[in-house]
Amino acid sequence: MTRPRRLGVPRRARVRADGRGRPLTIDGRTVDSVRESWLVEDRWWTDRPLRRRYWEVVTVDGLDLVVFRELESGGWFSQRG
Amino acid sequence: MSVVCVLLPRFALAIAAGGREALLREPAALAPEPGREQLIGEVSLAAEAHGVRAGMRLGEALARCPRLVLVPPDPMGVADAWERVLARLESIGAAVESEREGVACFDASGLRRLHGGTLDGTLAATRRALERPARLGAGASRFAALAMAHRARARRPEVMDGDAAAALRDEPVGLLRLRPVTSALPDPLERLGVATLGAVAALTRAQLSDRFGPAGIAAHALVRGRDESPLRPRVAGETLAETLELPEAGSGEQLERALGLLVDRVLARRERGGRTVRSMVVAAKLVEGGTWRERVVFREALADPLRMRLALGRRIMLLPSPAEALRLSVERFGPLGGDQRPLLEDSAAHRAARLREAIAQARAAAGPEAALRVLAVDPDSRVPERRVVLTPFE
Repeated sequence: MTRPRRLGVPRRARVRADGRGRPLTIDGRTVDSVRESWLVEDRWWTDRPLRRRYWEVVTVDGLDLVVFRELESGGWFSQRG
Repeated sequence: MSVVCVLLPRFALAIAAGGREALLREPAALAPEPGREQLIGEVSLAAEAHGVRAGMRLGEALARCPRLVLVPPDPMGVADAWERVLARLESIGAAVESEREGVACFDASGLRRLHGGTLDGTLAATRRALERPARLGAGASRFAALAMAHRARARRPEVMDGDAAAALRDEPVGLLRLRPVTSALPDPLERLGVATLGAVAALTRAQLSDRFGPAGIAAHALVRGRDESPLRPRVAGETLAETLELPEAGSGEQLERALGLLVDRVLARRERGGRTVRSMVVAAKLVEGGTWRERVVFREALADPLRMRLALGRRIMLLPSPAEALRLSVERFGPLGGDQRPLLEDSAAHRAARLREAIAQARAAAGPEAALRVLAVDPDSRVPERRVVLTPFE
């Protein structure tokens, strides 16, 4: 039997950011503007806490993307959902 | 291919107002249909001069033009009048496509030999058949013909010659509103400073697709004089309708009984010839003036009066006020009656069993992942991947 499969799983992304963590390019696409940024902190009471800084940006070619930086382990990911 | 477009501007308003002359006297607009959203329908030229537009909120329209006369909508009368127009066009041999009242298109290529061998002959025959002033346009595609019809005058057709993209170059982007798929594009395009179809044509397919998705791809084709979808002419069919006068304005239970009687009468008509019915139109003349009309498409073609009454009965409840006449007409017939399941035996358990069987067959053909469903596990979670999962459809 097929097991349940999550939707909207993060995928690793190539992001270049400035000193304050603001994305400048995502997978080679230049960021035009930042629409929103927010912090998600969860499971801080466990051994595997989740801390992410999300960025919703619009690229110069008109795409609306959501990426986040994993603050615990590092690394950038893109996500839909 | 050459497509001819017949445009009768403000058709619904003119019919509801009782003629075009009535629209010349004062600013007028179609009132919102009873029980629906408070948006006005088509507006007269005089009302447009006051800044009133079709689809505007009633309050805003009255604020812009306090003298605005609201004409009660007459969807039943409009549908009848438009049906007569389409029948006239079909009488010259045209296979007509009509997505809304007031606009009809047909491919004129196959008609030339019938009307003197030229497009002009076909246009003249169209004008004679209509017996009323109409704007006629012709072009290599449906969109080109629509654009030409909007440019045409009542007595002089506009025919697009040569390169369609060049002919459309200077037209405003507002013309994209004429096609349902691109109707939302003109506003953002104008905000971006793209004012003409030529400017849209200068953009690449990738750029339009990236920004607007399928609508952008359709616009890319339209501005080059190609249609985003082929003409889909209606099947010229017969009319089968039954009307019942209700001397003491009917509502509630009385209407349901009247509807039941009409269903029986329609099914008993010889012209039906044992065929099932795919879709019907139920219409009413309201006591307060105006009319009401609803189209009902059955989930499957049927000829079972019980199931018909059940489907139509729910719509009749939406009637905004008592009716003095009720009419039921067949819009499309289905195949000859064969697999007619009666209402009472078609229980939920029976349907569920059929669904399980269908899923089993799909899985047998395409593997275990052929039927999955999206299950909301924690839809409000701040972490997107925790919100929904794909699970087997049980």
